[in-house]
Amino acid sequence: MNMQNFVNSVKSKGVVVFAFNTHIDYVAIADQTCRLIEKNLGLPITLVTDHDAVPVFVYDRIVRVDPQGHTFRSEDVNLQWRNFGRYLAYELSPYDETIVLDTDYLVLDDSLLKLFETNWDYRLMHHNRDENGVSYEQMGETSLPFVWATVVLFRKSPRAEMLFELVGKIQRNYEYYRLLYNIRERNYRNDYAFAIANIIMSGYHVNEQQGIPWRMFTVSSPIERIVATDTQIHVHLADKALVLPHQNIHVMDKAYLQTDNFRELVNELTI
Amino acid sequence: MSSQFKEQQGFVTFAVNTKDTNYLELAYLQCLNVKATQKQNSYAVIVDNATSELITDQHRQVFDYVIVMGDISHIFGIPFGYEAMVNHYTPFKETIKLESDLLFTQSIDHWWTAFRLKNVCLSTGAKNFTGVRSTVRKYREALDANSLPDVYNGLMYFRYSRESTDFFSVANSVFHNWVMISQELRQFDTIVPSTDVVYSITAEIMGRETVTMPSMDFINFVHMKSGFNGWSDARSWIDTVMNERDGDVIRINNLNQYAPVHYYDKSYATRELIEYYEQRVLG
Repeated sequence: MNMQNFVNSVKSKGVVVFAFNTHIDYVAIADQTCRLIEKNLGLPITLVTDHDAVPVFVYDRIVRVDPQGHTFRSEDVNLQWRNFGRYLAYELSPYDETIVLDTDYLVLDDSLLKLFETNWDYRLMHHNRDENGVSYEQMGETSLPFVWATVVLFRKSPRAEMLFELVGKIQRNYEYYRLLYNIRERNYRNDYAFAIANIIMSGYHVNEQQGIPWRMFTVSSPIERIVATDTQIHVHLADKALVLPHQNIHVMDKAYLQTDNFRELVNELTI
Repeated sequence: MSSQFKEQQGFVTFAVNTKDTNYLELAYLQCLNVKATQKQNSYAVIVDNATSELITDQHRQVFDYVIVMGDISHIFGIPFGYEAMVNHYTPFKETIKLESDLLFTQSIDHWWTAFRLKNVCLSTGAKNFTGVRSTVRKYREALDANSLPDVYNGLMYFRYSRESTDFFSVANSVFHNWVMISQELRQFDTIVPSTDVVYSITAEIMGRETVTMPSMDFINFVHMKSGFNGWSDARSWIDTVMNERDGDVIRINNLNQYAPVHYYDKSYATRELIEYYEQRVLG
């Protein structure tokens, strides 16, 4: 076997992160969280962002696209959500095996690497828990469970390609799918699109068997600060502190991810 | 006198029309569905005198056996009392007895092999539309209060045998002595017994391990009573979620149903659906 063949036989692995600035500086957040990804997974990272972004982290690649999204009202405020286009991850990823991560997902261990050792075309995060121990996981009162598109793994394969094409189709025809699936919220969510695509791909079956075999942990409440020790992560909330082992954490409080405390935490964890 | 039994095995249902429900039409649809989905597909319908008057040539072309119950006035004082007489009417040595508002989405021919481990086998538990056993207990509180087995007569098997004769004999006795028996049970004082309740008590008397196979959890069906599926009982499931058909498969709320579907809401049995199966079976 010559070296060329050897090189061809090794499948490339990497992480793809989408970051489009809105009222939140997602690119700055990605610059920080990608340091954690690099430290704990040791994989190259591709950033998908818009033409105006000025990322600081040294990415493997930066892919610039025209951002798409929508505006929705939340608590009487118009919010911009540039979450369209996630289905392009398959096409935009330069890797054979890809982990697509949200920028608000703190990679604090290497558990995701273990998934590469298993057989799949794609893997989705089906279950979540938060600091209250519960997580509402239905797309609507009479609908089906959604998945968390926060973490998606895929291998370049016809089946994975079909999944992402289907997610794109669902995004383009979201109003139809929203009615078909009795989805409560009007705004498009990738969580729902991936869930619907997976159900269709699985022969109209929820098919959690292909999912990531653990629950995601999300901190839903506002965070005051996070402190790391050698073995633990202490997440200080307004009225309590969560004491966790070093594990991946999905952070809903985007404001915290733009604080000095978070930057200092990342500095400390990536030394 | 000729034998009661005409064939080795087959499906049986009762069709006793009421002023609200045309059970004969439900049985006709079910028979067409059985013919379309099962290799073992002999089918008998048991009717009362009034319903028998409504049987058409088309019905006779599809049903393998139409059995008219004799004088049933002595059991008609009890709702569904005739159910426990099924062993007297079935033309099969081995019978899968169905409620008429149940449809198959695929073959269950292999179930016969499992059923043959018992002389009587009641289905246990009920699935919801996601294919898992429903944990909703609000319809079964009285059974739970009395630690009675969670059995369903919507789909059951029995073979001509001493055990099945005893089972139905005890069930008849429970039907006829309900007033006395109900006083010995919790939460049953004012409830008219359903066949499920009578069979549950009978199973307990006979020994639940002798008439159920809970380890074979595929021997049950999807129960489309809204509450079983976590939805409000204020609306039928048909008005709550989408449903469509893909050949024999029924898709409910975007999930394919592979277990038998007890559709419960009789309006599901539309003329269109009957015509679909007539086309399949009769050409």
